[in-house]
Parts: sequence; structure tokens; C-alpha cells
Amino acid sequence: MLVLQVLTNGILLGGLYAVVALGLALVWGVLDIINLAHGAFIMLGGYLTYYLFTGLGLDPFASLPLVMLAMFVLGYLIQWGLLNFLVRAPMFNMLLVTFGIDVVLTYLAQIMFSADLRTIRPAYAGSNFTVGGVTVPWTNLLAFVVALLLTGLLALFLQRQRWGRAIRATAQNLGAARLHGVPPRFAYALTFGIGAALAGGAGTLYGMVAQLTPYVGVPLTAKSFAIAIIGGLDNPLGVIVGGLVLGLAEAFGSLWLGPTYRDAVSLGLLVLVLIVRPTGILGRAS
Amino acid sequence: MRALVWVLAAAAVAALAIVPFTLSPVMVQFGISMLLFAVLAQGWNIIGGFTGYASFGNSVFFGLGTYGTAVAMVQFHLSFALGLVIGAAVAVAFAVLIGLPVLRLRGHYFAITTLALSEAVAAIISNLDIAGRNQGLILPLIRGDTMFYELSLGLMVLATLTVLWLARSRFGFGLIAIREREDAAEVMGIPTTRYKVMAFALAALFSALAGGIQAYYLTFIDPASAFDLSLNVRMIIMAVFGGAGTVLGPVIGAFLLSGVSEVLASYITGVASLFFGLVIIAAVLFTPKGVIDAARRLPRRGLAYFLDAVRETRL
Amino acid sequence: MRAIKFVVLGLVLALFASTASAQTITFGASLQLTGSLANTGRYYKDAFQMAVDTINKAGGVKVGDTTYQLALKILDNQSDNNLAVRQYTQLLTQDKVDFLLGPYASGTVMVTSAVAEKYQVPMIEGGGASGQIFSRGYKYIFGTLPAAGSYFRSTIDMMGKLDPAVKTIGLLYADDSFDTSVAEGTRALVDHAGMQVTVDERYSTDASDFSTVISQLKSKNPDAVLVAGHETEVLNFIRQAKSLNFSPKLYSFTVGVPTADFRQALGSDANYAFGMTPWLPLASLKDAYFGDAAQFAAAYQQRFGYAPDYHAASGVADVEAFVKALEAAGTTEPKAVRDAIANVSFQSLYGHVAFGANGQIDLPQTVIQVQDGKLATVFNGTDFETQPMYPMPAWSAR
Repeated sequence: MLVLQVLTNGILLGGLYAVVALGLALVWGVLDIINLAHGAFIMLGGYLTYYLFTGLGLDPFASLPLVMLAMFVLGYLIQWGLLNFLVRAPMFNMLLVTFGIDVVLTYLAQIMFSADLRTIRPAYAGSNFTVGGVTVPWTNLLAFVVALLLTGLLALFLQRQRWGRAIRATAQNLGAARLHGVPPRFAYALTFGIGAALAGGAGTLYGMVAQLTPYVGVPLTAKSFAIAIIGGLDNPLGVIVGGLVLGLAEAFGSLWLGPTYRDAVSLGLLVLVLIVRPTGILGRAS
Repeated sequence: MRALVWVLAAAAVAALAIVPFTLSPVMVQFGISMLLFAVLAQGWNIIGGFTGYASFGNSVFFGLGTYGTAVAMVQFHLSFALGLVIGAAVAVAFAVLIGLPVLRLRGHYFAITTLALSEAVAAIISNLDIAGRNQGLILPLIRGDTMFYELSLGLMVLATLTVLWLARSRFGFGLIAIREREDAAEVMGIPTTRYKVMAFALAALFSALAGGIQAYYLTFIDPASAFDLSLNVRMIIMAVFGGAGTVLGPVIGAFLLSGVSEVLASYITGVASLFFGLVIIAAVLFTPKGVIDAARRLPRRGLAYFLDAVRETRL
Repeated sequence: MRAIKFVVLGLVLALFASTASAQTITFGASLQLTGSLANTGRYYKDAFQMAVDTINKAGGVKVGDTTYQLALKILDNQSDNNLAVRQYTQLLTQDKVDFLLGPYASGTVMVTSAVAEKYQVPMIEGGGASGQIFSRGYKYIFGTLPAAGSYFRSTIDMMGKLDPAVKTIGLLYADDSFDTSVAEGTRALVDHAGMQVTVDERYSTDASDFSTVISQLKSKNPDAVLVAGHETEVLNFIRQAKSLNFSPKLYSFTVGVPTADFRQALGSDANYAFGMTPWLPLASLKDAYFGDAAQFAAAYQQRFGYAPDYHAASGVADVEAFVKALEAAGTTEPKAVRDAIANVSFQSLYGHVAFGANGQIDLPQTVIQVQDGKLATVFNGTDFETQPMYPMPAWSAR
């Protein structure tokens, strides 16, 4: 029974992890940019949801599209006004600048929102149902469904949409994007904007199951790396696999070895995947 | 001209050496931190600047050095000197062992793997009884800031001389060849794997020694401070801002940015981090080749220099 | 190379600090005003400021024949221990502060108390309770938070008197220095009370997912669950306990429960949570400067817009302990003041302040519980003051 419950916990956690990593994986896979400010975007999305909820009484699930739109605009502007100027620089320059953005956003958040712990608590938060002795929290289940939905939508967009195909072409080479009638600068900004929107959506879901402080970003960025790499960057569905693997590894590592070993387990797994199969479980063999 | 540079450098080292006897204790403490950062930046320079493998996890070597020294001193009651040697040996052994599989990776994958390694080692150490778990270790207190300062200075000079030797040796040229085109270097007969592992181990050596000094100096260590991830960003930004792949660049970068960050922390206490974030962004955007390059060309190009820098890397 | 000299020179000039005037005693502190510990670190800034202002308004401090005004120099260490060490050194050597007030959190106190020891200037701190701080034989560090090992003492005493009786206990604690000390003390206390620890789990500091641990607790089902951790972990634990439908007869937490932040973040889900505090804003706690603790709490709320908890009261006690010691010593010479601190014994809004041989205060913890959104004082160590809401009903029955 305990094993079944832990399995359920791990799967639900994995769903949340997947949506947390989705934006980072997209930007990394398509633009070859590692966005160290990813976690800060999630944090901002969470705060936006919090203020829409406490200020306007807007249900978090209803505010999801609004938050994503706002974060899209922010992401678009950051890529267009700043990161586009660094695309051809050595790779660690981009890492440093996104780190700088992370620091700036985190401390702006501290100034604007204070270091108080914030929680988003709609009336149904914490409600659950029981199936065969296993307790399933509704919020986590809904978050899981939204994660699948967003991932599916992104996959469809990249496969079917004209702009989606242009974005993927940009990933292959800059000239190809022009053939699709999309200027590369626009394609970059669009992709980064979508990545930020997905991070914002993740923030909405994250804020419903955990507390928000200005400092939640960095651990979330770290988790996102692990998930993106374990799942592979070729396919958005990879994050679902990566999220589930990490969620289950943490849940069972915590059960069998003890809660202090969860990080050692998940990071050890990450290093192993990187060394043995750097393109991820779903990725093409290198 | 060349000779003049070295005379100036020697004079600067001499001037730095007398700091503990002329300036206040705060300056000495600031100096220790600045010099240790210069060592870390120089260590990164070897693997990131010369070899082109942008490690984002040199904090793992710093942390292993910190813990190697502390465990030797606290649990086995060995001397500080022996502790330093043990810390360095642990880090170098780790670099060699892990370098073999990890240095096959390139670009982002290498960066992320090193980052993950640092976190993984921290997670393991926080479960080890002998390392005090996550509670940390307490080292004996000594009132000897001057010793720590001179040790740090010596280490910084040693690291810089090593890099100077690198810049002129066959080994160093091999590393640069690897950075420029690894497959071509291979064809030219450079033992790329051995060279890369050696560069990694050298970086580990200096980072670990810096960690050992820090451990005894602070008298208390725990995994969060020993394996601090932001340390990586700081050492890289210092190396890059000063000039990656140059001999003196990382040292100058470390001095300048330590100074900026210290002044920010004491004067606009509260928003210091925010400004440091902005400084990082501006530095990378406008002086991506480092201040040495900027100092050389700025007088001729004027402000257009910054625009050139941006134009060169924009989409 | 020129650049280096410029930086060094610039810093020397820039760091040149103004010297304090002769009739002032300045306290220095490097606090967590930003960064991950800012949530609690900022309480100390407000508390120190309030204490200094109030004492000055009352005429300052008479040391020997001279009357001094108090001043405060506070720096932000960004929750960075390295920076905190440098800032405390700066406070002593550059800013020439006379005495040190401590930062928040055991780890930070651990590293910065070494500065006080090195320069032989006393530091009184109200933010670190780990036994590690006071086991090093340092002479210049004093603490006004009671020992970590006895945090759950009054709670366990109370549990012995409850009906239905508490027999089994789940113990969950973070792996940092403070919480490990709490766990060690608690195991011995539980043993002594004839109860049994059936689940004993250590988790990583900053953990955010407790679902596995909660599932384990649920399957073993101990009567009471005792959690030693940090505020955000405690909030996560309670929210996840609700969503996994876990409710033991009683649960208690080392942190969070006394703060307004906690009740605001959890709303009605905060109900039934037990906690402890060495301090409550009671009118019976008389104070030379503030009248009593209740008046202090009202004035504090008025000035800063939130209610003080024991962190703030502990911070005020730090300043008052210095004042008492200075008056007793009759000099501002650090060594003499240090000896005077070791001997202070006075009544304050925080309670009776006196330090043990190791430098730490000994105060009993009062058991508190959130009842209908308000803090209730339940058990004072010997008697019940309010009936506890016990056993806790299932989440669905609330």
C-alpha cells in the first residue's frame, strides 16, 4: 500500500516537474540557449497568479492564460532587446547574462513583493479523493493534466504550425528560417517568449502546491536542467519522461534510502545519464 | 615594453605583500577573499580559457579542498599544511577520475555535467558522518589573518606563474589547439585526452588549495558554503571580464569585480546584489573580450569599441 | 597592473568611515536583510532599532559618570556567511563600533562569533540556538534563544497529561545544526517520558516535497508528529499533509506557529498546529524601558505594521543585556563588559535574562496552539492555561 501511494506521489510530482522544465527545454533545444533565469520566470508567474487571486479573486486555473501572456511579452522583450545581441558570442557569455537577469529579477521581486511567504489557496486546495487506499490530491492531479496539455500543445505547434516549423528550422540553421519567411530575430524572440510563457504557467501551478518567495527560482532552474537532460531535448515529450523519472527517483530514493538522499539520487542519476547517454533517454544516440 | 610589464607586476606583488602591515584588518580580509577569487578565476582560466571547456562546476574542487582540509584537521588532528595537501590530493584525484568520462562531453553538456557534479558531491557529503553531515565542521580558531593573506597571495602568484608557463609551453599550445579545433589537434598528434585531463587536474589543484585556505580561515564550513554554485558564476565572470585565455586577465578581473562588489555591499547595502547583476550583464555585453582588450583598443576606437563588441555577437 | 593599485587605493579611500562621537556607544550588526534568510533576518533590524530608540528616549545609558546615547550600525550580509564575517570585521575595525549584536540563524552565528572571539569584543545574539555555537568554549558569545535540545520539553510534558494518551511519536527534522540538536534532545526527552519514537526521519534543508515522508508517517500512524525545521518547510508539510489526508492526534512545529506570517499563509489550515515560544506579549513581563511586553508588542505593531514574535523580543533582550552590563561594569572596556554580561540577571519584556556558563540563556518554552485563527497559550510547563484542541479532527471533519 505504501509503495502504491509513493508511486502515485512520484508520478504526480513528475507531472509538476515536467511543466517546470518545459520552457527551459524548449529554449535550450531550439535556440541552444541555457536560460539560467528560467526559475526566476517561474517565480514571477507564481507572484502574478498570487496577485490576480488575492487582488481580483481570479481562480488560478482561470488566470493561467493571462499569466502566460504576460510572461510571453516579458520573454519576448528580453530576447529581442538583450539576448539577441549575444547569440554569436561564446556560450558562457549567454550563461553569465542569463544569470545576471536571474539576480536582477530575484532582487526586484524581493523589493516589490518582500520576503514574506506567499501561498495561493483557492477553496479546493488540499482536497483529495481516495482510490483503493491511495490518496490523490486534486490540485496535483489537475496540475498533472495541465502539464500534459501544455506539452502536447507545444509538440503540435512545433510540428504543424508554420511558425512552429520556422522555429525548428531556426534551430537547424539561421538561413533556413528565412526560407520559411520568418526573420531569425523574430523567431528567436518568439521562441524565448514561448519559453517564458511556459515558465509562467509552471509558476501558476507551482504556487498552488508550494510557497512562493523571491528565492524559489534557483532550485527550480536546477531541477529543470536535470529533467530536460534526462528526457532529452529533441522532443517536448522528453520532459514528461524526464519529469516522471525524476519524480519517481526522488520519491523512492526518499523512501528507501531516506529523505536526505533524494538530491544525491536525482543528481547522481543526472550525472549518469549525462555520461552514458548525453542526448537523454528519448534522444537520438550520439 | 615586455620587461616593463614584469617589473610592474613584481612591484605590484611586493606592494600587495605588505598590505597586512600597512592597511586595516578589513582590507586584509577583503584581500584574502579577492586573492582567493583570483586563484579560482585563474583555475577556471586553465580549463575554460585555454582549453575551451567551459566548466560551470569548479566549485566541486573548491568544496573538496575545503572538506579535505577540514576533515584532515578536525577528524584526524593533522596539521594545516598536511590538510591542504590532502584536500588538494582529493580534488586532483577526483578531477582525473571524473575527467576521463566527463571531458568527452562538449559545450553545454560539459558545463551542465560539471554543475551537476558539484551539487551531487555536496549532496553526498551532507550525508557523510565523517564530514559532519549537513551540520558542518568547526575548525580551531587562530588569530592569523596575515598568514592567510600571505598564503593566498603566494597561491595567486603560483597560479599566475603556472598560467604564464602554460602560455609558452608545448602543453599550453596543445590546449589552445584543442580549444580552437579538437579534431584537428588530434590529427596533429596532440594527446588530447591526456592534455584535457591534465588541464582539469591543474584547475582542480588551485581551486582546492583556495578551498583549504578558506576552510581554516573561516573556522566553520558546511556543504552550502563549500559548494556554493554562485562561486562558479563569480569565477567565470572574473576570468571573462579580465580576459579569458590571457595570463593576467583573470587576476585583474577578480580584483576589479571584487572591488565593485565590496563597495556595493558596504555602501548600497540592500540593493547590492541587484547592482551586481546589472554589472555582470553590462560587462559581458560590452566587454566580452575582457578589459585587457578594451584597454588596448578603447583609446583608438573610443566609444565605438562597445558598439563593435555588440555588433560582433548580435544575431 | 595600474588598475590594481587604483582599486586598492579607491577602496581605502571609499571605506574610510566616519568616527563615532565621544558620547555615543555604537552597536554593530550584519543581518540578513536580503537573500534566503531575509524573511526572519529583518525582524532583528526592527527589534534592535526599537530597543535603541526607546532606551535613548529614556535618557540613554549611564556608564560610570558619563551618560551615553546608543547608536546602531546595521549592514546587509545578503544571507551570505562569508560576507557576514567580513562585515563584522569591518564593523569592529573600520566603523569602530563598540559592541556586536548577532545575526539570525545558527550557521551565521557560528562563523561570525569567531570574529567576536578573535577581536575579544562581546557579541550578544538572539538568532542562533544550536548547541554547537556554545560548545566551542568561546568567551565572547552570548545567546538569548534557549537551547535547541529542550525546544520540545514542555510539549512532551504536556503530551503526558493528554487524554487519549500519546504513546507513539513521529520525529521529522531538517539536517542543519540547529534542528539536529533539537532532534537529539527530543529523543532523550521522549524516552524519559516513556513514549516511543516510531518514525525518525531526517530530511534535507530546503526540501519542498514531503509526500513520501507523509505517506510513511500515515502508514505507521504515530499519535503525535514533532517537526523541527524551517518555516517554509513547515508550511509545505502542513499543506501536503492536508492534500494527502494525514492528521495525527497532534502535531507540533519548532518554527512558524508564533508568527503572523504563518497564520496568514495557511489561513484556516493553520488551526490545531502546536508550537512553542520562549516569549509571549504578556503584561506580566515587566520591563524597565517598555513598561511590559504587552505595551512593547502594541508599540512595535504600531511602528512596523506587524506583530512581534519571540525573534524580535529576543533581539530587544540582546540590547537590554548590553545596557545592564554596561551599567554594572561602569566602563566601556570590552573585557570588563564581557565579564559583566556573564553576570547580568534582570527582568525584561523577554523574561528573566541571565546567561549560563556556556553563554546561553535558559528559558522555558510555552506550548501554543492556533485555535480558530488565533494563538492560544496552552501549557506553561506545569499547568494548562487554555484547553488544547485535542485530538485533532480529520481534515474532512473541519
